[in-house]
Formats: sequence, C-alpha cells, structure tokens
Amino acid sequence: MSVSSLASFEYLEGLPGTTFRRLYLQPSTALAIFRRMLPHLAKTFVMAMLYMTKPIPLTDLDLWVHPNSKRQPTEALSLLSRLHIVHITARTRDDPQVVSLTKAFGSSLRLALTGGGDHQSFGVPSSDSTTADVDLNFLDDYAQMQWEGILHFVVSSVGEGMRQGGQGPTAAVKQLLESGNLVTRARHSGGGITQAGFSFLLQEANAQVWTLLLLWIKNAEKMEMDSVDVLSFLFMLGSLELGRAYSTTTLTASQKQMITYLVDFGLVYIPPSTKNQFFPTRLATTLTSDATALRSVAAGFDAAHTNASAMKGFIIIETNYRIYAYTTSPLQIAVLSLFTKLTTRYPNMVSGRITRESIYRAISHGITSDQVISYLSTHAHPQLLKASAAQGGGPVLPPTVVDQIRLWQIENERMKATSGFFFKEFENQKEYDACAKYADEVGVLVWKSDAKRMFFVSRVEQLRDYIKSRKMK
Amino acid sequence: MNAVDGSDHYEAAVEGPAPSLLVIVLDTNPHAWALLAPTLPLSKAIANILVFINAHLAVNNANQVAVVASHSHRAVWLYPRPPSSSSSEDVEMTIDQPPNLDDANKYRPFALIENSLLASLQELISTTAEKDVASTSTTQMAGALTLALSYINKATVLYSDTTSSSKPATNTMDAPENTTGLQSRILVVSVSGDLAHQYIPIMNTTFAAQRLRIPIDILKLAGDTVFLQQASDTTKGIYMHLRSPQGLLQYLMMAFLPDQMARKHLVAPTQEVVDFRAACFCHRNVVDVGFVCSICLSIFCSPPEGAICLTCSTHLALGDYGAKPAVVPRKKKKKRRVNGGGGDTPSARGTPVPE
Repeated sequence: MSVSSLASFEYLEGLPGTTFRRLYLQPSTALAIFRRMLPHLAKTFVMAMLYMTKPIPLTDLDLWVHPNSKRQPTEALSLLSRLHIVHITARTRDDPQVVSLTKAFGSSLRLALTGGGDHQSFGVPSSDSTTADVDLNFLDDYAQMQWEGILHFVVSSVGEGMRQGGQGPTAAVKQLLESGNLVTRARHSGGGITQAGFSFLLQEANAQVWTLLLLWIKNAEKMEMDSVDVLSFLFMLGSLELGRAYSTTTLTASQKQMITYLVDFGLVYIPPSTKNQFFPTRLATTLTSDATALRSVAAGFDAAHTNASAMKGFIIIETNYRIYAYTTSPLQIAVLSLFTKLTTRYPNMVSGRITRESIYRAISHGITSDQVISYLSTHAHPQLLKASAAQGGGPVLPPTVVDQIRLWQIENERMKATSGFFFKEFENQKEYDACAKYADEVGVLVWKSDAKRMFFVSRVEQLRDYIKSRKMK
Repeated sequence: MNAVDGSDHYEAAVEGPAPSLLVIVLDTNPHAWALLAPTLPLSKAIANILVFINAHLAVNNANQVAVVASHSHRAVWLYPRPPSSSSSEDVEMTIDQPPNLDDANKYRPFALIENSLLASLQELISTTAEKDVASTSTTQMAGALTLALSYINKATVLYSDTTSSSKPATNTMDAPENTTGLQSRILVVSVSGDLAHQYIPIMNTTFAAQRLRIPIDILKLAGDTVFLQQASDTTKGIYMHLRSPQGLLQYLMMAFLPDQMARKHLVAPTQEVVDFRAACFCHRNVVDVGFVCSICLSIFCSPPEGAICLTCSTHLALGDYGAKPAVVPRKKKKKRRVNGGGGDTPSARGTPVPE
C-alpha cells in the first residue's frame, strides 16, 4: 500500500464511530473507502459477507482461510472493525463470535453496486451545454500548472533561487502550507522548509494531494465546516469521470465553499463563463485509485505533455553511486539537489553522485533515508524497472546503494521511538504466551521478552478485548 | 540494526495487488435456460452476474472485465462489443445515450457496462433464428473459450506495454509467479450438458490456459460435463455445481470473486472427484477404456476400420487384444529374497565411517 493511503488512513481511523456512520450513508464514499483503503483480503471478506443474510461465525471464517496464512486475515479483520465496516460481537461463553457488516456500510455498498436509490452521490452531470475548449489536454495542463505552482512554492523556500516567473499559488494555499508546517516564514537555519515539507516533496503526486487535502480538512473543522460533508465530497470527486461537466447546483453550502479551494489546488476547473458547472481534473478523479492505477495516470500525463518528464521515472542510479537524471524540470532538479551532489548539467539531463556528505546534509534537513529511497524508486527510470523485471522482480535500485544510504543514516541515529503500550507482570507463563501470541497474530506486537514476561504493542483495543474475554472464562 | 541487513526492503517495489482481468463465458444455450426457467430465469441470472461484475470492478480501479456468450450456434462478444458491429465505441459518448447513463445514483463505469452488456445480449437473442435453435441443442463452448483466451492475451500484451514500456511480453508465458502483470482468469457459467463433440478444441484451450497460468473457474448451474471438470482441474480453477441455483449471487461473491492473490490465503472449494474420462476421436463417445494410437495418441472407442488411425493414418497392429492374459505363477525364490532383505546390495551398505 502506498504512503498516501496510510496518511489518509490514520486520519480516518481517528474519527469517531458516528462520523463513520454518517460517511457510509453515501454509496460513493462506501465504494471509495472499500476500494482505496482496504487490503486485498479485507475486500474479499467484505464482498463475501455483502449479500449474506445472517452474521457469519468467526470460526467459519477461519475455516475458509488457508491454515498457513493466519496473520493476514486477522489483520484484515481488525482493520475492518477499526474502520467500522464490520461488527464483531464480543466473545461470550454461550454464543460464538459472529461477524457481520455494519448496516450503513453494507446497504451503501450494495446500493453502489446495483445502482438505484436517491442519494445522487456519484455526481450530477451538468445538462448545460459544455464549453467547447475544455478537453482532456486542457484539464491536464491546468491541473499540472496549478500543482507545480504549489510544489515550486514549497521548493523555492529552500533558498536555491529556484523561484519561477509564474504567479505561484494563491494566498489561501500559502497560508494552508504554513499552518500545516510544510514551510515556515522564519528563514533561518536551513531555509523556510520543514521536515514535513521535505517528506511532502518526496511523495508521489497522489500522496501529495491527499496530504494537502487532509491538512485542509483539519483546517476546515476550525472554520466550522462539516468534515463528513467535506470528506464525502472528496470521495465523490474520485468517482467522477474525467472530461465531463458536473453541476454544482446540488452541492451543499460547505461543499460549494470547498470547491473554490479545490480550484486553487488544481483538482477542479470551473470555466469562467458558466459558474454552475465544474470539471474534475485528473488529480481529482484518481483520488481513490491505488498505486497501480497511478502508473497509468502518470502515463496519461506524459501523453498529454510530451515535454514534461516530471511524472515519469527518469532517474538512473548505478552501483557506484552515480546518478543520471533525465529531466529538465527545475522542480525535480531542486528536489534531487536536496540529497545528491550534482556535478554536471546537460540540456536534457543532470548527473551527480550520492555521497556521504550529501546524505548527511539531507538528514540534517530532516529527510530520512526511507524518503530518499522511496523517492528514488518511485522515479526510477523504466530501464531500471526493466532490469529488475528481467531478474524476476528483483530490487529496482542497486542494493548496495540502498544499504549504504541506510547505513549513513544509522551512523547518526540509533534510536527509534514507537508510541504504544507496555504489558508486564503476567500471572503465569501460559497467560503471557497466549497474549503475546495473540498480539503477534493481530500484528500489533513491537517487542517482547519471553524471559521477563513482558511485551510492547502499538495498539491496545483488540488486545484489551481479548484479555477481558480470557478473564471471563 | 536488523533493519539494515534484512533483505526485506528489496521487495518494497511491489505496490498493491496487481489488477485482474475477468473474462466471463456465459452459456446462453436456449434449450438449457428453458429447462432452468422455473428455478432461475435468464434475466435473474444476468442481474446477478451484473452485480458480480460490478463487485469485481469495485475491488480495484484497474480491474477489467469481458463477457463472451457461448450461444447455440456461435460465440459472441457481449462486452466489450466488437468494433465491427453496428454500434461502435463512439456511440456511447455522443448522441445515443440512454437516459439512465446520466443517473447520479449509479457509478458511471457500472452503468456503461450494464447498458452495453444488456444491449448486446438483446441483439444476440433477437438475431437468433428458430432454425438455429432447432438445429442444435448444445453450445459453442470451445469457440467462446478460444475468444476469451485470445482476448486475455491481447490485454496482457497491452498492459505490459503501457506499464513498463518495453517489458517483453513473452515474460508472462513462463514467469513462475509474476505478481506485477495483469492477473487474468476465466469464469464459465455453464448450463449445458454434454460437450463431447468439442472434446479436442476444449482440451486444447485448457492446455493453452494451463500454460498461460490462467485458471478456468466453472460455475455449473445445470447439466454435467466431463471436460469442463477437467479444464478447471488442470488449470487449478474452481469447479462448483450449484444445488440451489437461486443463491447464485452468494456463490459468485464468495467463491468466484477472490482473484489469484486472495486465493493464496483461502481454501478454495474444489471437486472431490474429477472425471478424467476422455472422448473418442471417432464417434465422440465418452469412454472409460479405449484404444490409443501408439504414434499420435488419438483415442478410439473401438479399433478403427482396417486398423488405420483416423488422425495420422498409421497402420496399427492390434496385437492379441482380447486374449486372456497369461498368468505366470510367481517364483518362490523371489519372494524369499524380498523378505530376506538384500543384505549384500551395495545401496544398503552404510556410509563408511572413519575408524
């Protein structure tokens, strides 16, 4: 799963149950969450349960799963219950545990699959005559221009003098970036960009969009806009079709308010002549696509702009730490120069080396080795991908380089903090064993010491239920 | 420190499950559906299958679907519609839009598929003449399977072209576990019985599918066919015979929706007993024991005329077929030797130990 879904995920998981119930009233939201947020096996479970009339006993579900893979299904189920998609009854003495879809989610997803109802959550197409000059190319151009404007604004705060002649993002967007701590006004010690800003830059486009949108949603709560309204509007955008005009007349007040911001982000285009219709751009329609689909989106962007190599892979990295980047985009070169020592610039490429100093500099800016590696691998040149495919899906980047980048980081930092919960003082070995095993199966176990009978978990809800049910027996 | 040495981060390149292509072969044999009408009329079955298709598309944005009808006298594409037919792809974008396509209550891709599928099915039914139905009682399963396979091949090549521009397409042929490419599978919704007259083409498509690692799932609503059982068995697909066809949708969602990735973690419903009988090449009878040409391995239910193989024209000698096998009494000596344990055979000697 890509970074972006994780980010949007953590936000969603934090929402209270009532918010979920209201979110799931919209079939498009149910469909988008199902499609985007769930791991593969969880989707299988949901679909199997979708048209079941009765709840299914947990033991039956266990029988269905291959005995060798216990871990994934438990993880899937725990995630489903955290997102309030399934309801698992508590373990009691008489009744076995049963699983069922929550009513709101089940009925919405069924509606999404069969159609019907009167929820209008898949966007109302505008019946007005469309503006003739709005075609796919135009929308792609528009989206890219807006988005690169934002990225340039973030990059240019590094202080490399990369500021472009263009007009940059609007004041509202700038304010948002500041309040989200992506850039700071105070230009001292390493420029006006923060660690969050760096990790923002190194993400893929879709993840960047989500990061910015989540920032905005958190902000919107302060402006007393309904987060459910806002979220379901975003999920609706993901289900719209590129190049079609949709009507704004059916939107709620806060959604109408929101759409002006989306225009700033380049997610939506509103033609100046007709105010009551809007066109979603490629950035919007791929909000709920997942990583594999995004490759094709990038390809679509490339097809639209033959000169823009920004979205496709362009970096070749060799085992001797030399980097060749086939790009002319000042944005990408600026990003690359954050962690490489660039030496030569040619008309169509730049070359340089990854050195210990350059990585140190990046780390002192707050970039992590993982961010560097994921940036390199997401932007790897097709030639590298081809080479790895020829070896039967081997590593894309040279392993020596990947390891060395990690080692360079570890030279400085040897501690990693994980927030979570510490369990100790178990009554007996048996109890300890059972709890530790369960924590491992659920996938929350971080560390354990069998000798001292203590372990550390990252999440406590399920384990708590489990220990409670053990006490009852 | 463990994070550094591990080989775990090398696999980080694999993101998300690969998209899958589902090709549904729908048996539209009018005779069989007429028999099935009291329990599960065709319209109801189609409605269920449409929900199933939507569910498949809902799982992943990049998932694709294709539907072939195996009719009584020909195999026809239902979705996507062939470009040669009267209504080409462009039509759905322009004037001819039925009103419900603009329905804000339905996800547009779902509506598009539903419309196109229903329209082509209607076209198929309306163009079926009475004499076509009367002339045969079976279905063109082999043709439909071939169409499905060729479509999958085309889609696979197209997919690997778009994702990594010059990835060799032949890679998918023999890559043992390619997780990045398009995952394809075929689902046959079968209602007809005997398919013996298409034995050879069906087995050929089966082996082609096996080689391409495309599972053929069989959902049997009525009738029974030996060869489809074998097809699903050799390609490691799922075979299910529904005892209560009313519950079609639940069966589809539970057993047939998981793709190859999910199936690794699930216990798939399989058939306990597979009928491995073959059909003879001369009369298309299903036989338990037959005669096999020693040159080309053609199967015959009875020795061919003049003992000349119908396929390769080799002159065959029957030998002393039908004679009682000579029973040779076992020698006692041999038996003793078995029990006595061959102490002096070289293999039984232990490994030499240094003294």
